[in-house]
Amino acid sequence: MPKKRLIFALLYNSGQFMLSRNFRLQKVGDIKWLQTNYNFSQISFSIDELVVLDVTRNERDTGAFCEALKILSEGCFVPIAAGGGIRTISHAHALLHSGADKVVVNTPLYESKGFIGELAREFGQQCVVASIDIRRVADGAYRAWTEAGSRCVEGPAAYWIERVTNTAVGEIYLNSIDRDGTGQGYDLQLLDQLPLDMPKPVILAGGAGNATHLATGLADARVDAVATAHLHNFVGDGLKRARQSLIAGGVDLPVWDVQLLEQHRKAQDTASFN
Amino acid sequence: MMDPRIVVVDYGMGNIWSVLSALRYLGCNPIVTSEPDEVVRAQGLVLPGVGSFRKAMTTLRHTGLDKAILEVVQNRGRKILGICLGMQLMGSHGSEDGDTLGLGLIPIPVDKFTFEEIGVNKIPHIGFNSVRSKPDAIIFRSLPETADFYFVHSYRMLSAGLSGEVATCVHGTEFLAAYEKDNIFAVQFHPEKSQTNGLLLLKNFLAQ
Repeated sequence: MPKKRLIFALLYNSGQFMLSRNFRLQKVGDIKWLQTNYNFSQISFSIDELVVLDVTRNERDTGAFCEALKILSEGCFVPIAAGGGIRTISHAHALLHSGADKVVVNTPLYESKGFIGELAREFGQQCVVASIDIRRVADGAYRAWTEAGSRCVEGPAAYWIERVTNTAVGEIYLNSIDRDGTGQGYDLQLLDQLPLDMPKPVILAGGAGNATHLATGLADARVDAVATAHLHNFVGDGLKRARQSLIAGGVDLPVWDVQLLEQHRKAQDTASFN
Repeated sequence: MMDPRIVVVDYGMGNIWSVLSALRYLGCNPIVTSEPDEVVRAQGLVLPGVGSFRKAMTTLRHTGLDKAILEVVQNRGRKILGICLGMQLMGSHGSEDGDTLGLGLIPIPVDKFTFEEIGVNKIPHIGFNSVRSKPDAIIFRSLPETADFYFVHSYRMLSAGLSGEVATCVHGTEFLAAYEKDNIFAVQFHPEKSQTNGLLLLKNFLAQ
């Protein structure tokens, strides 16, 4: 049985990384800024997977996004999923050749099942992550939203989640727009919208503000991974400490010792002097 | 210092970007090539890959890379590290998309996980999982006896009771996670996606 996962998501918009709150974006800084102020390499050694989404609302510059992806992936030795506005095989191909291992799709899930099949045939089903954005409507019912949360998909969310699950996708990234960026914790009720016998891994996203939220999400048997995109709540060694507390608390996350590589390197240097 | 000429074989399957990043992070400056002549001159080979066994073997044969790899490893005694599909291609034969002969560097066949084997688990086997290695295994040097590595695969080798079987993993059933004999090294997981556990393993291979 594979281990549970802690995922960090980065939101990219025309050269800048963003914070999102209920899908409203706020600029944080560019890639240099991310590296110097957020010590991204420390973040990348504290996670099991990285998601990088191009959430640019106007015209996307795929070339520039790919360049950013390459820089990020250079020092990041975990699987990387990338997406945002993917409508063609060549777009997916460009991301997969810039360091991504998987692609994240959203709007085509509802409109173009054929395209999902095409992606799976070309790159393998495990390569396709279905990102489903959910928001409650006035009567409290859960609905799926597309096009960066701007358009409501008709019909109950549960219906769409099951339908998407049965297409050629590898896993489901379930994101609460209501909780997005709030730091109030995950919406665990969202999990009740999943099919009972869920055959594919589920990533829960939207709302994590601290280690306890991550732990609560991971404690649910229906959750294979938790994601957070909250740069501010996990700055510096925040994510590292959150990870340590999760492992200390008995969560079945992968374990590695960053110090070991350093020691090994030192031991070899010493040996070469002798 | 002389460049040790580590060659990453690029036969057009899967993501070699991350393998290159990991090797560069460790101070190695690998040569990427699809030319058999370049491969033959290698001091060490890395054979990555993701995808179909049959398609990959067909490409290797078609380009003459299969002969170049065997020449370097068997006649010139250079080291090789197969990663994921790369390990599988080193097997005796694979049953993916019809039976296909492999490179034969590891005398074990490659077959799909069966439902009997995996039980309640899923295919493909994706994610970090615990790998248990033998204490004398060179590529696991400095790592704890049980260490976590990242896997993505539907096909596997099972134990054939050979001395080169240095590590195993359990996905419903126990399967071969790593093989190491003389100059031949192979791992079913992705060291380039396994944080410092994987970097250490790659470093051990480079230091060999």
